Amino acid sequence: MKLIGFLSFLALPLTFAASNDGKSKLVSLAASGNGVIRLDASTFDLLTSPSRDWSASIHFTALDKRRRCVPCKEFDPAWNDVAKAWATVPVEHRDSHFFATLDFDEAPTVFQKLNLASAPVVWVYSPTEGSRASAKNAPSKYDFSNGFEAEPLAFHLSNHTPIPIPYKAPIDWLRWITFISGLLGFALILRFIAPVLQSRWTWAVITILTSLTMTGGFMFTRIRGSPYTGSDGSWIAGGYQNQFGQEVQVVALIYGTLAFSVVMLTMIVPYQTSPARQRLQVYLWSGVLMLVYSVLVTLFRVKNRGYPFKLLL
Amino acid sequence: MSTAFPLPTNISPTTVANTASLLRIVAFGLISGAAIASRLFAVINFESIIHEFDPWFNYRATRVLAAKGFYEFWNWFDPTAWYPLGRVVGGTVYPGLMATSGVIYNFLHYFNLPVDIRNICVLLAPGFSALTAWATYMFTAEMKDPSAGLLAAAFIGIVPGYISRSVAGSYDNEAIAIFLLMITFYLWIKALKLGSALFGALAAIFYFYMVAAWGGYAFITNMIPVHALVLLIMGRFSGRLYVAYCSWYAIGTLSSMQVPFVGFQPVRTSEHMGALGVFGLLQIVAFASLVRSHVSSKQFQNLLAISVVTMGVLGAGAFVVMTYKGWIAPWTGRFYSLWDTGYAKKYIPIIASVSEHQPTAWPSFFMDLQLLIFLFPAGVVMCFRELRDEHVFVIIYAVVASYFAGVMVRLMLTLTPVVCVSAAVALSTLLDTYVEAREPDVPEERTEASGNSVADGKKTKKAGAATAGSQAGSSAAAAASSTISDFVSATKSNANSRQKGIWGADARLVIILNAIGMLVFFVFHCTWVTSNAYSSPSVVLASTNPDGSQHIIDDYREAYYWLRQNTPQDAVVMSWWDYGYQIAGMADRVTLVDNNTWNNTHIATVGKAMSSPEEVAYPILRKHDVDYVLVIFGGLLGYSGDDINKFLWMVRIAQGVWPDEIQEPNYFTPQGEYRVDDRASETMRNSLMYKMSYYRFSELYGGGNAVDRVRNQQIPKVGPTLDYLEEAFTTENWIVRIYKVRKEDSLGRDLKTANAFAQGKKRKRGKPVSRRRAIV
Repeated sequence: MKLIGFLSFLALPLTFAASNDGKSKLVSLAASGNGVIRLDASTFDLLTSPSRDWSASIHFTALDKRRRCVPCKEFDPAWNDVAKAWATVPVEHRDSHFFATLDFDEAPTVFQKLNLASAPVVWVYSPTEGSRASAKNAPSKYDFSNGFEAEPLAFHLSNHTPIPIPYKAPIDWLRWITFISGLLGFALILRFIAPVLQSRWTWAVITILTSLTMTGGFMFTRIRGSPYTGSDGSWIAGGYQNQFGQEVQVVALIYGTLAFSVVMLTMIVPYQTSPARQRLQVYLWSGVLMLVYSVLVTLFRVKNRGYPFKLLL
Repeated sequence: MSTAFPLPTNISPTTVANTASLLRIVAFGLISGAAIASRLFAVINFESIIHEFDPWFNYRATRVLAAKGFYEFWNWFDPTAWYPLGRVVGGTVYPGLMATSGVIYNFLHYFNLPVDIRNICVLLAPGFSALTAWATYMFTAEMKDPSAGLLAAAFIGIVPGYISRSVAGSYDNEAIAIFLLMITFYLWIKALKLGSALFGALAAIFYFYMVAAWGGYAFITNMIPVHALVLLIMGRFSGRLYVAYCSWYAIGTLSSMQVPFVGFQPVRTSEHMGALGVFGLLQIVAFASLVRSHVSSKQFQNLLAISVVTMGVLGAGAFVVMTYKGWIAPWTGRFYSLWDTGYAKKYIPIIASVSEHQPTAWPSFFMDLQLLIFLFPAGVVMCFRELRDEHVFVIIYAVVASYFAGVMVRLMLTLTPVVCVSAAVALSTLLDTYVEAREPDVPEERTEASGNSVADGKKTKKAGAATAGSQAGSSAAAAASSTISDFVSATKSNANSRQKGIWGADARLVIILNAIGMLVFFVFHCTWVTSNAYSSPSVVLASTNPDGSQHIIDDYREAYYWLRQNTPQDAVVMSWWDYGYQIAGMADRVTLVDNNTWNNTHIATVGKAMSSPEEVAYPILRKHDVDYVLVIFGGLLGYSGDDINKFLWMVRIAQGVWPDEIQEPNYFTPQGEYRVDDRASETMRNSLMYKMSYYRFSELYGGGNAVDRVRNQQIPKVGPTLDYLEEAFTTENWIVRIYKVRKEDSLGRDLKTANAFAQGKKRKRGKPVSRRRAIV
């Protein structure tokens, strides 16, 4: 009994040494890779070894051109920025969480082992030993619906790091310069465009265009990120609560035409100086009104199949 | 002077004026009748019943108010909601709606008319719609004239965009809020026009009523200052503006702070800072203009200008500093998400999850507003032509409301009034022009030109005949380009300098018949939409039998009455928050969460229980004293608004609080699909929600294929088993399923083991017996 106790006591520094050895290797790898460890199959096993007092977030990706993974390329800079930000924290915290990247072409076996079929994927392994040890062995996954940008990534990964990741979005100088130069430019030409700005019809055009695009469902396509047309080239989205980008233009144009013909009938036609010309315009615009309205109702019937009414068409 | 049709000559102007006034009253009576009648589809098709979700709470609160009086209502603490926290109802409610019903109730009872409080609640919204029509009439009459006002009143009376929130039984804050919105705006315009402190004070009083009635009062709080600010920028500052704004702001703000739910928000939050800032700005501008009128020295005037600008900048800086320091609360999430549309989905999923907070696709606009939606821009153009102070208001309202309506379906309600007003202005101008009997004289010097244009017209006619329809567009374009110069001259030159009018009766007839045709179509459209889309109580569902007769599906009430009759009075029922108010209102049982979503963590707790496996959920249920769990299941009937379809939001909201334990991707198949059949993910199939929904579902089909009719997927033959809950009640069409939470085993065993023992299952040998784990 005593002997066993003694042996285990002896073995303790050994295990420590082994773990320390692995850890120092990881630390040096991270330092050389600008905060990110480039993994292969063996270092992956080291990083995710079952007894570890560190946590690790691993980014599985496929950056090679042949893989044609567009989101991977999109996500990679954000990942590196967050890892770089983590490299700036004090050493005692920094060395208890590692950022690593595993490319498919460097270790396809790992992808097979983990049953990964898509990239990019971010998994976070929590430590199994030490003060932050968690009982859960399965890694947790970063949810990409939060966004591909660095900011949400840093925010969500901070749940797993000992201290929050001190990520700050870099100042977008270009944007500021454009903004300020735009402002200055505006101030300079203000004198020349002042008559335009003071004209009520400039504002009328702006107002009408805004309300037409809004009532055409522009905000829907912005918020839902609907495509301009369908994948099969159709431009009318099926379903009543859905629409494509092109529908905004078509519908706004229809509304605009209808409103324009009403405006013509009330504001222009009565000021005509000859009866014949006036009559022609009255018939013309009434025809436009009826025809375009029928088109609109037909379009609506396509969207809402149960709609019972129709006009000329 | 020639006329297009004969006019009677022997009528005195007084008779004409009197007849017009009588006709207006008659027309207005008919409009009110139509507005009320078209909202009664729900009562006729179903019964006099409170609809949907929120109205059930309002109804319950009104009953308390009617039974116990206002004082008791004000101090009402409701221990049965948000168990075990409870809810201070008096301080967390907009009491305007309940107070209105309470006043009507007491008024009728004073005259010994024993009307049931439920009927008052059901019929309040239709009644107020007639008042809304009147307020809209007054508002539009200020914009143009009473005839446009009548058109606007008729539009708002039957337009589906407003009916959707005000059918009989839809006893919600919006029912009275739109009337208050329109009357406040009307009084503001009136105050501004007259420079009258009386109308300003009246506007403030109705503003106070609005604040007491609806959270959307922030719309008024910002619309009026923006209008004042734009008038300032346009150089239209006047004593009238100063008097109107200051009287409205001072009285309105002080009185709005008397509502306990609002309290000190008007001086502490960003939503209200615009109004305060404009108030300050007006003082500075008024002071400057006063001083300027009294001193003449050039230097002093320069000094004054500089000091005014400095004061403005300092004031704006003070706002920034105070916001930064936290003295002024930043925008609340609900309002902020209107600007940054991605915000809610990321940080407050509970707001993003509500169906009426989704963005609006164009068919909804057309469905709700029909022909008004394209008359609306035309009306805005006509406002620009005159551009009096009140027209500026309509223009700002049009832009702001169309943006908001695009962002949230629910805010279609604020767009509807301005669309009605603006469309009425457009249509009434059109009709005015073409009904007018006088014909202009044919100008002598222009006869040659007109002869030319006749020839032109003939030419285009021939061309049109030759190549049929395809040419019509180009000839229209040609006509348009030739008329653009006319347009510019018409708008620039004084309207009186050129003769205005229509020749001939046929041109008049075309336009008027066209307009009448469109209006008739509008009425048919509104009737159809109202009766089909907006008159369902959603507590009672309807379907059609094969022979065309109506079949009523009454599962909700069946379940709620079962709870009421068969469970102890203090039983705690857990359900998703959508059904909280209904359970409290109809079953009168204690609920964990309800539609007043004030405590996100509590809702996330329910979400976690629903989306966890039974073993994890059970301790949560026991800790919250839950006796019954209620789920909505539409798989048998094909009812798509059920809990499985809402399930992902429960997962998301739970994930927001426990990101380690609940993770959305785990509920999808590896291919990223949301499935409930045998390919569903392990986490999905073990979740409490899945188990409760599909428990014994396949047995219903005997040996056949059990198909979920909402998701069109086949449910595995061997369904889920339940150890910690037992089925208590399932309604006729399986829409509501109620489960009883079992108490701990009396022998101290794990409930799973106890169940296995009771079913006579032998323990497997070879495998070590699992020790009972203490329930954490």
